[in-house]
Amino acid sequence: MSDRHVSLIDLTLAYGGTIAVPGLTLDIVKGELIALLGPSGCGKTTTMRAIAGLLKPAAGRISIAGRDVTHVPANKRGVGLVFQSYALFPHLSAFENVAFGLRLRHSSETVIRARTEAGLATVGLSALATRRPAELSGGQQQRLALARSLVMEPSVLLLDEPLSNLDARLRLDMRSELQRMQRQTGVTMVFVTHDQAEALALADRVVLMRAGVIEQLGTPADLYSRPATAFAAGFMGFENIFRVEGTSLVSDAGAVPLGFAAGAPILAWRPGGVAVGAGPYAGQVVASSFAGSHREYVLESPLGRIKADVPIERAGAALGETVAFDLPQETVWPLMT
Amino acid sequence: MRGLTSWIILGLTLTFLIGPFLIIILAGASGGPSLAFPPDGLSLKWYAKVFTVESFRASFLLSMFLAVFGTLAALLLGIPAAYALNRYKLPGDETIRMIVAAPIIVPGIIVGLALLRYLVVPLDFTVTVALFLAHTALVLPYAVRVVSASLHNLRADIEEAAVLLGCSRLGAFMRVVLPNIRGGVLAAFILGFVTSFNQVPVSLFLSGPGVRTLPIDMLAYMEITYDPSVAALSALLAFLSLAIVFAAERLLGFSRYV
Amino acid sequence: MFLNTREGLALALPAAVFSFLLFLVPVGILLSEAFRVDGGWSLGGYVEFFSKPLNQTVFFRTLKLGVLVTLTAAVIGYAAAICIVNLGPTTRGRVFGLVVLPLMISPVARTYAWIVILGRTGIVNDAIVGLGLSDTPIRLLFTETAVFLGLLQLFLPLMIISLVSAMENIPKDLIPAARVLGANWLQVFFRVILPLTREGLVIGGTLVFTGALTAYITPAILGGSKVLMLETLLYQRVNVSNDFVSASVIAMILIVMSFSANLLLRRIATARR
Repeated sequence: MSDRHVSLIDLTLAYGGTIAVPGLTLDIVKGELIALLGPSGCGKTTTMRAIAGLLKPAAGRISIAGRDVTHVPANKRGVGLVFQSYALFPHLSAFENVAFGLRLRHSSETVIRARTEAGLATVGLSALATRRPAELSGGQQQRLALARSLVMEPSVLLLDEPLSNLDARLRLDMRSELQRMQRQTGVTMVFVTHDQAEALALADRVVLMRAGVIEQLGTPADLYSRPATAFAAGFMGFENIFRVEGTSLVSDAGAVPLGFAAGAPILAWRPGGVAVGAGPYAGQVVASSFAGSHREYVLESPLGRIKADVPIERAGAALGETVAFDLPQETVWPLMT
Repeated sequence: MRGLTSWIILGLTLTFLIGPFLIIILAGASGGPSLAFPPDGLSLKWYAKVFTVESFRASFLLSMFLAVFGTLAALLLGIPAAYALNRYKLPGDETIRMIVAAPIIVPGIIVGLALLRYLVVPLDFTVTVALFLAHTALVLPYAVRVVSASLHNLRADIEEAAVLLGCSRLGAFMRVVLPNIRGGVLAAFILGFVTSFNQVPVSLFLSGPGVRTLPIDMLAYMEITYDPSVAALSALLAFLSLAIVFAAERLLGFSRYV
Repeated sequence: MFLNTREGLALALPAAVFSFLLFLVPVGILLSEAFRVDGGWSLGGYVEFFSKPLNQTVFFRTLKLGVLVTLTAAVIGYAAAICIVNLGPTTRGRVFGLVVLPLMISPVARTYAWIVILGRTGIVNDAIVGLGLSDTPIRLLFTETAVFLGLLQLFLPLMIISLVSAMENIPKDLIPAARVLGANWLQVFFRVILPLTREGLVIGGTLVFTGALTAYITPAILGGSKVLMLETLLYQRVNVSNDFVSASVIAMILIVMSFSANLLLRRIATARR
């Protein structure tokens, strides 16, 4: 693969004596936007810190743009990192925050000024150049942090939970902003998130991690519609996952007979794939909440709690009512592990 | 009614705390030959006399020297220690914390005596060196504590951000950490300066003939003479301390750090 | 949090080594001196120290004055702190500044003021003679009262500061809530304020008690040789009779008393939670 830009080769990372990532291998393509997705403690942030050089690997190698950087210190790697907290320098103006790295390179004052101004313009902060970080809103701080990293023209830009500190509306704005900037600069971006919707919406490829190991790697469409494992399926919104034993569907709560030949040891349904109103199973409505186009039900059934989304025009069941439902073959996703 | 009671309580408390100090200012301005209040006529002659007493001048300089350089030395030792205790997970960090804080806990007079007996005499240190070391050790806990407090309020990840932008670790400390804890460092300096300058018990045994800190010299002077010049000097020193503290408060809200 | 332990130790050790060598080692040797009177290790130094009536008197006087100053400071401190906390923000800042201010002034100066007040020709004696209460000035200096007043004035600010910061952490609506529930002011104090400010009381109490025990200037100026306290006794033993064993015993007593005061107050503070 000639276009591979960042390579992690059998990377082992330890944190205070415990191994967080045991032997990770991953290739990141030049110019792509890749997401490291997983629950907290899955090793995604650790991996990102290792790429940045903030954490020394216990074993394995990292190479960036064909150069082995495993032992190159963080300040010589040319990697940018946008921190979850933004880590802006509180004593410096927005302008000086962006100019900080350029000044360290001993660029001339004219170059520094020009590039800093261009950087601020890219993120739309030109008018606020003299403000201190504390005088900026959350979204502005985030864009300032982004500009500070981008002016250094890093070969890789890492982003740690880039949208987690923003409110819902800003989050949507920032998503498109990040994509726009990535296209505009062509920089390879790696971002870490625990939010599957965010990862799917933004990334070209998603790396789903679990306990330091890659659970599944693929395009958002791959992961969403073809999760490879029960863990991946759970992360991608298959909230009803059951084991198959003989001709029965089994959960920790109990078992029900299955109406079709399974063909796989594990079966999963999204809430939207559960048919409510008719079917062989019965469940009592224990929670019901309005979600615009549909109603989200929680049914207490012999299989335990079932989550079902019902289109609003057919959502007539009241709280406490017992309804019939089906887990149909048409919407099932079979899983081998 | 409750407002009135409250102001009476505060008034009495403040009179008790500040009143004696006002009395001393006036007593120093007495026109008479001996200490009296109300003063026998007003004059500034005792305030003037303070400046002519040779031993006061020498001891003032010594106290200034100890307060400035002792505190600087304490900051030089204390800032890295505070930084390490805040930013690293160290084995035995509690022990280090306790050792550094020890000079606050142990009564000063014991420290002075111990230093005299087991350091100055056997190792043949001069009195000035011993005083300098003692004052440095005395101020060290304050330096570590105040600087720690301001480091605690500063996010550690801005240093990582600086490193990723090209700084060395030391560079990140100088460019990013130090400017942000400047207020704390200055507060530590002032607190250290005042503590050292006013310190008596530690210096008590370490002062030798001709080498005395100002407070010790004042105590000695009081035993011989009963004139108002000590009152005048006390008032002057108090004004000096207050001027420094007020300037610091104006400049950077000193009280936030103490 | 950085993980490079060696780097961290390199930064912390100079300060620790400095304090250790210049502080703990000499003080440690001094403390051990009292145990080595008869050639070997023994408690002889302590036995002899406590067998002298003067030493006993000084010990109990120091303890008594320490406790009295601490208790008085706590009572005045609570009254003042409650008043300060109820002030508006600007006035509160100013009054608080006036409380802190004496701490910045040399203890020599602050103690010296009491000579002017309590001396033979001081304000109090002028008033007494002037009002005809006594024909001749009475002795006020070099009494326990003088030392008590001096110490109280010296350390009261520490108590007020500790209590004010503790009270600032009490949620604003708590006291009105207690009042609405039917508590009178005494009940509010003993059931709400006191329990919630115990930590502040412990800190303030330790500072005041330890300060009073180990103050040198105040007993030296206001007590003189008539009202010796442990610190002035130590100075006298060393300077007059080169008695380092007594000095070592007193040093140990002072340190043990400071620590036990802190432990005791902590115990009291946590006992009734």
